[in-house]
Amino acid sequence: MKRIMLVSLITILVSASISLIVPHVAAETAMPVRVWFSQYEAENEAMVTLAEAFESETGIPVEVVPRINIFNAADDLVNNAELDDRPDIVFMQAPDIGRLVSSGYLRPLTAFIDDDLKASYAEAAFSAFSYNGETYGVGYSIDSYGLVYNKSLIATENLPKTWDEFFTTAASLTTYDGDEVLIYGTLLNSRDMWFNYPLMRQYGGYYYGNYPNGDYNPYDVGLDHPGMIEYVAKMKELMESDLVLQSKIGSESDIVSRFANGKVAMIIYGLWYASTFQQRGIDYGIASLPDGRETSRALTTVQGFVINNRTEHASEAERFLRFILSDEAQQLLIEAGNGHAQKLGTRNPANRNVMASDYVQDDPVLASLSSLNDECEPFPNIPEGTIWYNYTTVVFQSIFFGDASGNPVDPQQKLTELADRIRADVALMNYTAERIEIPDWIWAVAATALIIFLALRIIQSQIRRRNRKGHENRLAFRETVIAWTLMLPLLGLLAVFYVYPILHNFYLSLTDYSGINLHEYGLIGFANYRSIITAGLQGLASMVVWTIIFAVSVVSCSFLLGTMLASVLNKVSNRMAKICRIIFILPWVIPTVITLLMWQGLLATDGGLVNHLLGIIGLSPIPWLSDPRVARLSSILVMTWFSFPYFMVVASGILKAIPRDYYEAARVDGAGSFFTFFYITLPLVFRALVPTLIMGFIMQFNQFGIYILTSGGPASDTIGAPGATDLLITYVFNTAFNTNRYAVAAAYSVIIFLFVGGFSAMAMRIGRRFSEV
Amino acid sequence: MNPKRHFVARLTTYLFLFMLIIITLIPFVYIVMIAFGKNVVGTAAVIPDAFTTANFSRLFTETSFLQWMMNSIIVGLVTTIIAVIFVSVAVYVFSRMRFAGKKKLFDFILLIQVFPLTLSMVSIFRIFVAFGLLNDLKGLVVVNAAIASAGLVLLAKGYFDTIPYDLDEAAMMDGANRFQIAVQIILPLAKPMLAVVAIQSFVIAYNEYAIASTVMIQGIDSMPLAVGIQSMIAGQYGTNWSMYCAAAVFGSVPMIILFYALQKYFIGGLTEGSIKM
Repeated sequence: MKRIMLVSLITILVSASISLIVPHVAAETAMPVRVWFSQYEAENEAMVTLAEAFESETGIPVEVVPRINIFNAADDLVNNAELDDRPDIVFMQAPDIGRLVSSGYLRPLTAFIDDDLKASYAEAAFSAFSYNGETYGVGYSIDSYGLVYNKSLIATENLPKTWDEFFTTAASLTTYDGDEVLIYGTLLNSRDMWFNYPLMRQYGGYYYGNYPNGDYNPYDVGLDHPGMIEYVAKMKELMESDLVLQSKIGSESDIVSRFANGKVAMIIYGLWYASTFQQRGIDYGIASLPDGRETSRALTTVQGFVINNRTEHASEAERFLRFILSDEAQQLLIEAGNGHAQKLGTRNPANRNVMASDYVQDDPVLASLSSLNDECEPFPNIPEGTIWYNYTTVVFQSIFFGDASGNPVDPQQKLTELADRIRADVALMNYTAERIEIPDWIWAVAATALIIFLALRIIQSQIRRRNRKGHENRLAFRETVIAWTLMLPLLGLLAVFYVYPILHNFYLSLTDYSGINLHEYGLIGFANYRSIITAGLQGLASMVVWTIIFAVSVVSCSFLLGTMLASVLNKVSNRMAKICRIIFILPWVIPTVITLLMWQGLLATDGGLVNHLLGIIGLSPIPWLSDPRVARLSSILVMTWFSFPYFMVVASGILKAIPRDYYEAARVDGAGSFFTFFYITLPLVFRALVPTLIMGFIMQFNQFGIYILTSGGPASDTIGAPGATDLLITYVFNTAFNTNRYAVAAAYSVIIFLFVGGFSAMAMRIGRRFSEV
Repeated sequence: MNPKRHFVARLTTYLFLFMLIIITLIPFVYIVMIAFGKNVVGTAAVIPDAFTTANFSRLFTETSFLQWMMNSIIVGLVTTIIAVIFVSVAVYVFSRMRFAGKKKLFDFILLIQVFPLTLSMVSIFRIFVAFGLLNDLKGLVVVNAAIASAGLVLLAKGYFDTIPYDLDEAAMMDGANRFQIAVQIILPLAKPMLAVVAIQSFVIAYNEYAIASTVMIQGIDSMPLAVGIQSMIAGQYGTNWSMYCAAAVFGSVPMIILFYALQKYFIGGLTEGSIKM
């Protein structure tokens, strides 16, 4: 049995290493046009069919690369734009193009787009990809939303035409059973600013205004428009009549699941969960928003094709792009993207002929979805486009549900604060420090200084060596050479994957590398550090204290728990111990991201499983993640849950090495198991684990997992200040990344590196004292 | 010992274990429940109202799940082998040799890890380009081996230091050379720790997401599992929690098997007591 296992293991390993070592021999054709396309297999197959047709027609080969999702397209294009196997045509989301254009990654297609093309596509297909007067792409699918309604609760002809009608209809459809709502006329999420955008527009609010030429003006923020006060008042009124989610932490999924259960008549949403609606037997439709054709349009993401500006065969790429933009090609792609006969609604054609085709028109949902194409407003594609999104949820939560301590806030004041914060971020994002020129002689001086320094060190060590005795000296030297030679492979790896990134990061922190300057960044000296120091950090002291408390608690709790478990499992029956161990390693082996998301669901204050279970035994719900103090405790507990299995296993190994005599001696002296654990086991395990514990401490210091669990929240009352569970690193990175200031992020990481490094060096010194007594 | 006190001690032990098992299992059971759940919209739903195995069959028919898992197993196993070798060598050097710069080198290995590697993806990407490792599982093996070795050297050193030096000296008296001592005496004694190193390296390589998602960009079939799984909830239209959880449940099987296979090396506790001081 053992032999079979061994043989099969070896076979697997050998074949694995062969598959790694033997290069994948690719049939090398003459530089094809490379297209990064979809995550849907059927859609990619359709594209391959088109590529083959194109090749037989023109002789130009085309390679279709399937992608895992569309969200990384922009970042991956930046990384790969100049490599040998760079993409020529990329399928991406229009909101991503602004920062790519400002760094010169996209090829202008204004000349390419002729009147024929313009006539055969919805306007959004081009407007979404227009930036500063040029068009950089052509839309393929329009991802929009509208009024999704349940036909058994409201007939199509009764749908409201204006917002006032919408409110009255919704109120009249709402039915009660005592105090409980049976059917909601509609349900809105007061914290959301994506689906509520059309409503907000109705009252005069907006995100970014326009320059006279139609381009976005990011400094013109409309969230403090006087009309917004009316909007807030209206939402409060709707909340009282049960048309807005009552829960402070409610989300879209609460609305969608109620709609899927047939409890809501109309929601402002898209068709992303259409298959769930179908499975649940909901007879649903999608229609124009009230006043949809006029002022209030749905905020829409258009997905389409752009051309890499650094392509080596621009004309071939343009030819192929034109080929796939033809009506027939679009028909083929859209049908494949919608799962052919399944008509999933995953792709909503931007091409007018496809919109008019039988495939679309025969399906009521696809047809009504495509009829919304002329009623949408593309999401702002400027690099500043997403800034508002970082703050609105928190701000509107405090406007509608009060601040962290539950006190009501003044909406006007809060909205002004919000708009000012966005303007400040826009200014930060567009700030460019002055470049500095470094004369060549400085490099020469630096290099000479380095060489002199190294030479002095070598001489110094030689002198020290000579002072020792001959034989011992020779032995020590030999030993040193052997030791360093043995360490060489590992050191090489570390140099490449740790030292280089650190140095490169330090270099980046001295440049103006940012979201709007991804390519031609240059040295600006210590300007980023200066701006960090002058700006300061809101709530820095309390955040540092929390970070340290968090890291220390997680590491010590999981060490204690793990060691305790390891020694307890040695005492229970063998079979029981085996089962327990398999159970206890589960938190360790299931990917952290997944379990973190599960914990988030489990600990939800409303409807989470934990509070549900507490309810069964008669306890009131605990605000696990929504109260600042409890959230801090929860995050420590959850992170302990993740790391105790590791310490359990490690401690089991160490326990195996502890001489039995120790325990026997203790037992002879009459010590109980409590005593032996705390006075023998724990210190011995601790001594062996000092470096690991320090390492664990560092890891917790850089713990980004907490962000998946709490998003740093509950948020502070000051806009942009750290939330209750924000660690130093999660907070500074978010601040820097929200405004795409990557060089500032790099500077932060250097500062934090020095800080945590100093801290660990100190811990190391203290630890040595412990482990070498 | 007082039998009553003994009974109370046992009872507390079992209660403690039982509670911990519950806490450990709840999220896992929840994942399994969602994996079998029908029409799951969010993660904060209490209990799905209907169950189905469709999520699993979709996983195997509509995605390249098995291929992803195979990729990750290969990367995981090769990483494990490299890391175990590197860690053994490094830890022997640190624990048994006296050489110039030892303390500094050890501190250096610890301190460079303070830097959060996943945050400097720009730099990592450049390295991959420079070495021609893009879109290549080899690249993942190398970077994961670096991460695993660096982290685990610290762990293993603490353990190696508990193996008394007298053993080496005794063997040296018997005329064994250094290599023989390392392979025939120290390594067998270090088996428990090497098993832990092996498991942890495998877990690191198997679950690594940030780097893999940046450097494996072409070819769905060459993705490792962590990247593939994530695409199920970062999909373009909504989120498929059920398939995501089904993949998580299925994806953790290789690690549980590995753990099960290796656990005999690090459990057994005091009964063997092979080391005498």
